[in-house]
Amino acid sequence: MTEVTFSRRGFLTSACCLAAAPIFTPVTFAAMPGDNRLVTIVLRGAMDGLDLVQPYGEAGFARLRPTLALTPDKGLLDLDGHFGLNPAAASLMPLWRSRELAFVHAVSTPYRDQRSHFDGQDILESGGEHVAAEKTGWLNRALSVIPRSGDRKAIDVNTSTELILSGPNDVDVWASDSNLRTARDEMQLLMRLYAGDPIFATAMEEATRANGAAMAAEPDGKRAERIVDVASLAGTMLNGDYRIASFSITGWDTHVGQAGQFKRPAQDLAQAINALKVTLGPAAWSKTVVLAMTEFGRTVRQNGSGGTDHGTGGCALLAGGAIDGGRVLGRWPGIGDGKLLDDRDLMPTADVREVAAAMLYRQFDVTPGDLTTKIFPGLSFDKTSQFLKA
Amino acid sequence: MSLSFPTVAAIRFGYGFRPGEAPPQSKEQLLGQVTIGVRGAPSFLADGIAGRHQQIIHLQDELRQLRQSGDGQARRDRRKVIQKRVQRVFQRDANARMMQAVLSPNCFYERLAAFWTDHFSTSANKSLPMRLIVPLYEAEAIRPHLGGSFRDLLRKATAHPAMLVYLDQAQSRGPTSPGGMKQKKGLNENLGRELLELHTLGAGSGYTQADVRAAAMVLTGLTIDRQDMAVGFRPGISEPGEHRVLGLSYGGAKRSPKDYLALLDDLAVHPKTAEHISRKLAVHFVSDQPSGEMVVAMADAWKKTDGDLMAVYGAMLDHPAAWRDEGAKARQPFDYVVAGMRALNAGSGDGTVGEFMQAHQDASDGGDAAMPPQAMAGQASAMGGDTGMMASDAEDEAASKRRKALQTARALGQGALRRMGQPTWLPPSPAGFEENFSTWITGGQLAERLAWARRAFAHFGKDQDPREFLRATLADAARDETIRVVAQAPNKITGLTLVLASPEFNRR
Repeated sequence: MTEVTFSRRGFLTSACCLAAAPIFTPVTFAAMPGDNRLVTIVLRGAMDGLDLVQPYGEAGFARLRPTLALTPDKGLLDLDGHFGLNPAAASLMPLWRSRELAFVHAVSTPYRDQRSHFDGQDILESGGEHVAAEKTGWLNRALSVIPRSGDRKAIDVNTSTELILSGPNDVDVWASDSNLRTARDEMQLLMRLYAGDPIFATAMEEATRANGAAMAAEPDGKRAERIVDVASLAGTMLNGDYRIASFSITGWDTHVGQAGQFKRPAQDLAQAINALKVTLGPAAWSKTVVLAMTEFGRTVRQNGSGGTDHGTGGCALLAGGAIDGGRVLGRWPGIGDGKLLDDRDLMPTADVREVAAAMLYRQFDVTPGDLTTKIFPGLSFDKTSQFLKA
Repeated sequence: MSLSFPTVAAIRFGYGFRPGEAPPQSKEQLLGQVTIGVRGAPSFLADGIAGRHQQIIHLQDELRQLRQSGDGQARRDRRKVIQKRVQRVFQRDANARMMQAVLSPNCFYERLAAFWTDHFSTSANKSLPMRLIVPLYEAEAIRPHLGGSFRDLLRKATAHPAMLVYLDQAQSRGPTSPGGMKQKKGLNENLGRELLELHTLGAGSGYTQADVRAAAMVLTGLTIDRQDMAVGFRPGISEPGEHRVLGLSYGGAKRSPKDYLALLDDLAVHPKTAEHISRKLAVHFVSDQPSGEMVVAMADAWKKTDGDLMAVYGAMLDHPAAWRDEGAKARQPFDYVVAGMRALNAGSGDGTVGEFMQAHQDASDGGDAAMPPQAMAGQASAMGGDTGMMASDAEDEAASKRRKALQTARALGQGALRRMGQPTWLPPSPAGFEENFSTWITGGQLAERLAWARRAFAHFGKDQDPREFLRATLADAARDETIRVVAQAPNKITGLTLVLASPEFNRR
C-alpha cells in the first residue's frame, strides 16, 4: 500500500468516505483554548416540544391531542411525574438518569405572530430582536469576545457556514457536496407543488418509485447512520483544537401524520447526542454543553391531519457532563382554557436566547454586558438567570 | 390569466430573470438584442477566433507527427497528453459558453444561438480536433450570421470544417471523378441527406432518394485540407456532369464551387424550407403544437424577404399566439441550468455564482481534479479518529480548496448537463437534442434538477429569503400554490430549492 499523508483535509475527506454516503448538514467549528465546549444543534422545521416532552400530567392534554398524546401505559417514558419523554428518544433516558440531560419548556425567540420558518430561523440564529436586525450569527459574534487562538482559516470556501456561526470570525466548515436526499416534510411540499400540474405529478411519482432515485425519501437506516457520522465528526473535532461546533437536524415540520413522522427526527436527535458523548469520551464530555433549539413550537391542538401547525412556545434541550440535568426547566404556563397564546400556542415564558446566553456565560465567561449588547441585543440577562442553575 | 409582457419575454424568449437586469419591454427590444448580439465577439473561445485557427493547425501538426512516430508506448503516452490538453480546452469553452448565456443581457440572441447551433448540429465527439473546431464553428459560422439571411447562414454552416467532418463530407468523392477513381473512393451521402432532411426542406417534404444522391453529387469537391483544416473546393474529386435536385440542374462538364453554392441558395429560399424552419422555430420557442396561423405568418415573411431571419423572428413575435399559453414548453437542461444560475447570481457566500464559475472554468478532467479513490479509501481505513495525526499544511489546504472548487464548478456546469442529457456541443445525432416536453420532464429529470438546485444553494445565495427569491425569479408567473408552498418550507434552502423545482420554473 502506498504511503498516506495525513492532513486535516484528508481527515475530513475520509470521514465522508467512512460514511459511504454524504452527510446532510454542514458542521461548523471554531477553535480556541480552554477545556470547555459547546455544541449547538439547530432543529429546523419547528420541533414540537409538546410531543418530545409531553405534559401527560396535565388535565386536557389527551383531549387536545387525541392521537398524539401518550401516557406512561402507552409507552411514554416518565420524567418527573408530570412530563414524559417520547419513546422515539428512549435512548436519551440513561443521560436523564445520570442528570446529563435537561429540557427547557415554554421558550421562544422574540419572534411573534408570523410563524414563518425562514424568519423564525433567522432570529434564532442571528440572535436579534426581530427579523434581519442582525446580519451575522450570534455564535460567531460570541467568538469575538472569547479569547481564542487567532488565525485559523476556513477549510472549505465552497460552502459557507450556517447563519448561526457566520460572521467576521474565521470558522472552519465541513459540508458535504451532495446532500441530495429529500426529508419527508420536504417531500410533502414537493407533492403539493406538483399537485396542480399532472405532468409534473406523474414525473414526481416516477422519481419516488424508482429505487435509489435522488428524490426518494432517505431510508431511515441511512439517515440514522449519517446523523451519527455528523455528530461523531463534531465530537472528534472537539477532542482536538475545536471548542464550538454547530450542525442542524431537519425533518420537524410535522403538519401531517405526526405520530409517524416525528419518530425519525426524534431518534436522530437522541442518536446525535449519544454519539457526541461516545466520541468525546468521559473527560471532554464532562466539559461539554449541548444546546438543541428550534425556531418555534407547534400548536397545542393537533390539526385535522393528525399533525400540528406552526406555533410559538417550544422546547429546548440541554445535554452534557457540564450541566446539572435530570430536570425540566422553565416556567410551565399550563395548557388549560385561557392559558394559550392566541388560544392556540403554548405561551412562551422565557426567551430561548437567555438559555444560550447562560451557556456562553458558564462555558466561556462571556460577560452579561457583552451578552446583552453584542451577542443578543435587547436580551435581559444577568447572573441571577434561572438557566444558570442548569 | 395572462402574464405581463416582460415576464413572457424573459422566460419564453430568454433565459429568465436575472437580478439587476431589466427584462425586455417590447418586441423591438427583443429584436434589438439580436442586432447587438451578432456584432459582439463570443466570449467562450479562450484564444479568440484567430488564435483558435492557429491552435487547430498546431494540433493537426502534432497528430501528424504522432502518426509518423513509430514506438508504441511513447506514442500512446504522448497521445494521452495531447488528448488531455485538448479536452481541457474543450471543457473550458463549454463552461464559458454556458456563462456567456448566464451573463448576457441579450438572451433572445443567446437562445437563437443555441437554436441554430442545434439546428445545424455537429458533435465534438466525432474526433479529437473536433473538440477545438465545434466551439469555433458556433463562434464564426453560426453566431455572426443568425440575424441576416438564411442563405448566408446556410452557406457558412455547411462549408465549415465542423460540418464537413461531422457529416463525413471530407470523405466524399465523385465516383467517376479522377480523384475518386484513383483513390478508389466514392460518394458519401451523409451531408447531402441531412442538408435536405434536417437543414432545409425537412423530412417528408417531397424530395426523393434520387434528390439526396444528386445533392451529394453536387457537394462533391467541397472538402477540407487535412493539413490546415481549411475549407476548399477540389475539382479533381468533384463528380463531373449535371445533377438534378428537385428538378433543377447543377454542375456541368467543368465543376466549380458555384454549383454547390447555387444548390444551397435555391434550398434556402425554397417554400418547404421556409415552412419547415418557421415551424421549427415556433416549436422551439412557443409550443410543441404551435399555432398554424403563426407558422404561416412566419413562412410568409420568409418567402416575402427571401429568408431574412429578422423578418421571420419579427413575424413570430408579432403574432398573438407567441404571447399565449405560457409555460407550454419544458425548459431543456441547458435552459434550466442557465436560468437557475441567472436567478441566483445575486447570491452571497463566495461571491456571485458568475464570478465563481468564471474563476473555475478549468473544471475539466473530472478524474484529474478529483482525489484518486484509492487514496481516499486508504485514509479512511487508516484513520482512527486520532486528531494528532492531522498535519496542518497550508499548501495542502489551498490545493484542496482549489480541487473542491473545480469539482463544484463542474458539478454545477457540464457535469449537471451531462447527467441531465444535454452536454454542450455533444448532441446525440445530427438532428440535435430532443425538443418535446415529455423528453425533459420525467422522474429522472426532476430528481437531477432538484439535486442541482440543492447543490447550487449549498454554495450560493442560501441566505436569501425564498419568498423574495420567488418574486424575483418568477414574478407574475408564480402560481398561488407555489407562493404558499414556498412560504411554508421548513428552512431557507428547501424554500429556495422549491422555487427552482416548481413547474413554472421548469416551463417556459
